[in-house]
Amino acid sequence: MFGFGLIKTWRELSAKGIMGINRRNADYVLKYNKRNLYPIVDDKILTKERAISAGINVPEMYGVISTEKEIEKLDSILAGRTDFVIKPAMGAGGDGILVIADRFEDRYKTISGKIISHEEIEHQISSILTGLYSLGGSRDRALIEYRVTPDPLFKSISYEGVPDIRIIVLMGYPVMAMLRLPTRQSGGKANLHQGAIGVGVDLATGTTLQGTWLNNKINKHPDTSTLVAGVQLPDWNGFMTLAAGCYELCGLGYIGVDMVLDQDKGPLILELNARPGLNIQIANNAGLTLRTHAVERHLAELKSKGISESVEERVRFTQNLFASIPSQ
Amino acid sequence: MRSLTLHLKILIALCVIIGVSVTAYQIFVLGIPVSEDETDNLWNIDAKVEFQANPREPVKLHMFVPPLNQDYVSLNESFISNNYGVSVNHNEDNRRVTWSARRASGKQTLYYRLVMTKRYSGEQIKAKGSIYRESLPIEGAEKIAAEALLAPIRQHSADVETFISETIKRVNNTSDDNIRLLLGGDTSSERKAAVIDLLLSIAHVPMQRLHTIRLEADVQQSPELWLRSFNGEKWLYFNPQSGEQGLPKDRMIWWFGDEPLVSLDGGSKVAVTFALNNSEMNAIRLAKLSNENTAEGFLDYSLYGLPLQTQQTYQIMIMIPLGVMVILILRNLGGLQTLGTFTPVLIALAFRETQLGFGIILFTIITTLGLSLRSYLEHLKLQMLPRLSVVLTFVVVLIAVISLFSHKLGLERGLSVALFPMVILTMTIERLSITWEERGGNHAFKVAVGTLFAAALSHYLMSIPELAYFIFTFPAVLLIMVGFMLAMGRYRGYRLTELFRFKAFLKD
Repeated sequence: MFGFGLIKTWRELSAKGIMGINRRNADYVLKYNKRNLYPIVDDKILTKERAISAGINVPEMYGVISTEKEIEKLDSILAGRTDFVIKPAMGAGGDGILVIADRFEDRYKTISGKIISHEEIEHQISSILTGLYSLGGSRDRALIEYRVTPDPLFKSISYEGVPDIRIIVLMGYPVMAMLRLPTRQSGGKANLHQGAIGVGVDLATGTTLQGTWLNNKINKHPDTSTLVAGVQLPDWNGFMTLAAGCYELCGLGYIGVDMVLDQDKGPLILELNARPGLNIQIANNAGLTLRTHAVERHLAELKSKGISESVEERVRFTQNLFASIPSQ
Repeated sequence: MRSLTLHLKILIALCVIIGVSVTAYQIFVLGIPVSEDETDNLWNIDAKVEFQANPREPVKLHMFVPPLNQDYVSLNESFISNNYGVSVNHNEDNRRVTWSARRASGKQTLYYRLVMTKRYSGEQIKAKGSIYRESLPIEGAEKIAAEALLAPIRQHSADVETFISETIKRVNNTSDDNIRLLLGGDTSSERKAAVIDLLLSIAHVPMQRLHTIRLEADVQQSPELWLRSFNGEKWLYFNPQSGEQGLPKDRMIWWFGDEPLVSLDGGSKVAVTFALNNSEMNAIRLAKLSNENTAEGFLDYSLYGLPLQTQQTYQIMIMIPLGVMVILILRNLGGLQTLGTFTPVLIALAFRETQLGFGIILFTIITTLGLSLRSYLEHLKLQMLPRLSVVLTFVVVLIAVISLFSHKLGLERGLSVALFPMVILTMTIERLSITWEERGGNHAFKVAVGTLFAAALSHYLMSIPELAYFIFTFPAVLLIMVGFMLAMGRYRGYRLTELFRFKAFLKD
């Protein structure tokens, strides 16, 4: 009976078009993402440079430090700035990121209120350079950039940290979106497998749907107990256009685009991911395969006609096709 | 994309077909045993020749020895004699040894020893023979008796085969007056064979005598007379006593023809006694031995052609693909999370040296302690290389301490940790701690348990001796595995764990 139940589950999942890891790797990551383009998404500095030259909004880059010698430049980079972020270019999981919210006398104040000295910042940069936070332990570069202030809208449904928006983009067509909210468990990070919650977003309207937390469906934020569904995200078309434009930016055909909503600057791109996770499906209560197949059919049609669509046309196409029924 | 799929399908089909056909060729045509436990009879045949040599006269003794172009193959053949010259000649189907000495006196003993077994390669020699011969001269009463006998035989037979067996049946019916006349009161096999020969020659059916030895241990025996005739396609064998057709499996042909087994010049009272015994031998060793004695050399290009020590290494190495395939199945079909692809296989190899149970305990203890050291070092904010060096040193010290303790406690197992597992342990600790940092302790624990499980399973499979023998003997099996792995490369279905992960979708 156990085996029979599994076959039933298999059938139902595949009828819903749920994408598994094997399919994602074989049909999308391996097919659309060229290995030689990976450095563009792995190195945040490269991503940013590409984005700037393509005219795509990113948090402003104040400076890059790539050798110990260049640490001397830190003073000139920070001159006149009271808040900024220092992060490793190839860090993973949010390690090694230093967020300075204010200056205090001759010292700096981090986002959590800790006071640190200039020397401590220099030591942090030195650690980043030696590769303490980079994945393989190889030498890295330190990136100093604009500190994002999340839009006050998110304050009510988020615990702390910066919520971000993830949109999966196939060949320039946004196929699924999710709002990621940090929780107490995730330690302020917006990473789903660290315990952040994901909330599905309707592609057409930008209103939130239900949520997912640790592979389960949820309706309320576990820390704030507010309903996560039915929130209208501001400037939704801005996010969609931004995400769709990332295909031209990096050349990778299947990516997850992580964006934030800054209080002053609007939607900004944080980073790109060449192997986006699959839990976004639970948050949207929809399978990715159905949507990617629809986009692939559309692409084949366009190819036979010999035309390609602009960013706006692509966004309109997917918004028409993948509009969700309002959540019950 | 489509052409790529076709390309892949052809490649997979090619791998599987080549793998299957090479293996099938090895098993069915070369007859290489499928399992190591398969044993075969090894026959040791001694023919002892004794005679009294005439003084002051040169001695020359001929004896037939088995022709060895049959279902049996000689592994070793020796002619044991003192001061005798030995030569072996072939003539027609027979082989004959000649022992000669210029001077010998008194009682002489010569030995012929043959060690042989069933032939492994089933290559059949094309049979040829004549299907017609002239009648033997016959006259008077005997001629009338023979013709009287042949009439009903012709009536009762349809072809050469039935004709011969009918003849033998009649000749063995000694109450028949005609038969009694032809036999002349002598009912020995030889006499009967002569009468059968005579009758068949009148019908122009060729017939040949042959002498066989029964492969049966510790039984007194002398060569048994059989008859054979060629029917145009193959030789038909008949027992002259019973008319029974077909040579039983346990008979081995010693020589053909009417001549006696031995002929002696310069001596008298010659007697030959046969002694047989059999022993069992590991089939693959036997195949190797017979390989050395035949020109075919079918094992020359197998892994058995390597020096023994290299063979032992390869016996371990050739199992690695199997281990990798287990990991592949567990990961891509099962969805088990492990540390990379090769770490579990390497740990499984390390288990070879530590034994499974002890290996798991050792692995758990050392990894736990190593991880706690690693997390302590984390606070010191050390760079990767110095940090790894410290962890490696710590692992060495830990293993030394465990070995010392277990030695003092009388557990010799503890000493079995060798160089190889140590490096693997250090690597595991490092990778596990990276996983810990990136994905949290829970996930790291899951991955560690998954890795141990995968390692234990592949260790178990890799150490099944039958499987190891099979893959080592039939390395083409690896191609079949490659075909499977290629197919897995395009597998798009769900992993087993995903069925549980996405359960939320079904709760509506």
